[in-house]
Amino acid sequence: MILVKNTPDGISSLCVNLRRAGMACVCFAAFAPPVLAANISVQKNPDSGLLAWTMEDEGISIELIQLLPDFVRAIYSAHNFPKAEVEAIASWCVFGTILKNTSQQQMSYRVADWRYIGEDGVEQPIKTKTQWIEQWRRAGINFSWTLLPDSGDFEVGDWQQGFTTIKLPRDSTFDLVISWKLDGEKHVGKFENLRCAPESLK
Amino acid sequence: MPRTFVLMLAFYCLLPPAQAAWEPEKLGRNLTALAKPLPAPDFALKDMDDESYSFADYRGKVVLLNFWATWCPPCRREMPSMERLHQMLDSDVFKVIAINQMESPDHVFAYTGQLAVDPTFPILFDSDSSIANAYKVKGLPTTYLIDKQGMIRYRAIGGREFDHPDVVKLIKQLIEE
Repeated sequence: MILVKNTPDGISSLCVNLRRAGMACVCFAAFAPPVLAANISVQKNPDSGLLAWTMEDEGISIELIQLLPDFVRAIYSAHNFPKAEVEAIASWCVFGTILKNTSQQQMSYRVADWRYIGEDGVEQPIKTKTQWIEQWRRAGINFSWTLLPDSGDFEVGDWQQGFTTIKLPRDSTFDLVISWKLDGEKHVGKFENLRCAPESLK
Repeated sequence: MPRTFVLMLAFYCLLPPAQAAWEPEKLGRNLTALAKPLPAPDFALKDMDDESYSFADYRGKVVLLNFWATWCPPCRREMPSMERLHQMLDSDVFKVIAINQMESPDHVFAYTGQLAVDPTFPILFDSDSSIANAYKVKGLPTTYLIDKQGMIRYRAIGGREFDHPDVVKLIKQLIEE
């Protein structure tokens, strides 16, 4: 569970319940950038029921689109991935991600700084493109595209898209804390109650 | 119908309305000027007809160098504007080159055959992404505008409307240098 608490002086504090460690609550107040109350919209495809979340925040627009496992399988099968690797990534919770710099300054991000919090309340890092590529190279694959790049320095008008992978089962819900920098200043935003796509369309 | 087009169709069918709303949004026109121009790495690649192209042969011309793939939606969206740009400017002083990433010539041939306007600029094949790596391309599409001396002067990450007057003006400035 992740709690965002706004103090009267405007400083947010982030309390992380670390159940696994048996710790009650660790609060960061003065040193962590505030988690912003972002403008997040959710859209549902009336035909498929699949969801997409869009966060419009200071200098950034990020859209996360549920992807069905069969779609992920089709993409990687089309690039001649071995079946084991196709099933490996299809077993993850995969989102199509569209990331845009909406500011008039440089916007930077690093996927390694992003965290997801599943139903167990434990904060976890996101597997990066580089980590997937290392795994794929060991399996003899040299394909290196489709995933959201590990990092980016986006100038005015730059944007990018790619897959974001979360190691959670189908239909899981989780929160996602993302961070980015605008001209060197760190910003943090949070998606709450994101849901992994189901195994298939009903 | 090639498998990729079935996949693309499936992708668009699966996208929620948010994506449908995003899709018609106009592509941007901003190219970022590099604070310090960098030399464009040389390369020799083949096109669909197995004809070799050496980047060194383009010295003295301004080049719009685009890294792309058929499965990449913004790559597909910006391609018609690249063709219009290519048709608009004098080929003696300006060239568009598109470098496909890790797809087969047969596959790309099938894709271009379905476009309303067949691209007339060279489409080259970077089968192992070694040229994209040399240009430090992290994601697709990425496009560089290279001056007559072979220096990278502008960069765009993500799709753009390359025949927008603002982009054309930049290119003409480089041509006139």
